[in-house]
Amino acid sequence: MDKELLELEAELKRLRPVLPSRELTAAIGRDLAAPPVRRNFWAWAALPLAAVAAGVLLLQPTPKLAPTPAVAQATPVAPVTPVAKFKPVSAENVLYAQSDDGLVTLADGTTALRYRSSYVDTITWKNPNTQASLRWSVPRTEERVVPVSFQ
Amino acid sequence: MEDIPDDESWRDWFQHYGPKLLLCARQWTRSLADAEDVVQEAFVRFWRHQRKLGGEPQALLFTSVRRAATDLARRNARRSAREERAEGGRELLEPVFEIPQEGDDRRSDIETALRGLPPEQREVLVLKIWGELTFEQIATQLRIPPNTAASRYRYALAALREALSAADCHG
Repeated sequence: MDKELLELEAELKRLRPVLPSRELTAAIGRDLAAPPVRRNFWAWAALPLAAVAAGVLLLQPTPKLAPTPAVAQATPVAPVTPVAKFKPVSAENVLYAQSDDGLVTLADGTTALRYRSSYVDTITWKNPNTQASLRWSVPRTEERVVPVSFQ
Repeated sequence: MEDIPDDESWRDWFQHYGPKLLLCARQWTRSLADAEDVVQEAFVRFWRHQRKLGGEPQALLFTSVRRAATDLARRNARRSAREERAEGGRELLEPVFEIPQEGDDRRSDIETALRGLPPEQREVLVLKIWGELTFEQIATQLRIPPNTAASRYRYALAALREALSAADCHG
């Protein structure tokens, strides 16, 4: 890039994006303080997780065992941590369906509105050394319950 | 960027990264209100479920923001064109950068020039300059080759320079 573009780049970097509003920060605080919505994530995730673990282990090169002298066998060997070579590079949540169950009565008698959102979560890991990548997708349903009061 | 320690407060993290997340969200949404909704959804999802993944949390969060923006766009697709135009008109007046003590005209010119960029160039520029992502990370985010990301960045800077020169001549 020429000098003029580099100067423009530096000028842009000096501009500070506007701060998020207090309302946004407060809304995030409220969301994080509330108990997480009910998720059936792990019921879906158990099998794919096992598959991912197996896949990661299979992707590792099999160590070749060469005959070594007895002295070499006494040398302590560092533990092998193949999974650590893969780093997550993206995590996506694709919304593919939404439904509104309308008014429902919860177990404690509270009346609430219930919404369901169905996602496919996809996490991608990449090994920066070999460029091998691993993608894991799992369906997930979120239920959002909003208590209502009648006046 | 290093992994987030377990005991780090979400407020500290959000205070530091919130502005750039919001700026990026605004590239993918029609209004400031939509961008805030997207950042809220993406940040809560990230903080609860994704921050323990390790790796590059900032890149993961940008992916989450982009995905939330896509979902929102899909949900809003049924809204009328008239409503969309009305919102778009209002949002043009919202500044995206902090107003400096001096040189506000220049900031305003830059914002106008940014809005005039093709969306595919603008999103690369924003992710590179204010998101501080590498071309490799941008390529992963946008699912384009790294060379394409680098080209779009250079085109965006060149187009900005041209637009700002024109603004200087007329201003």
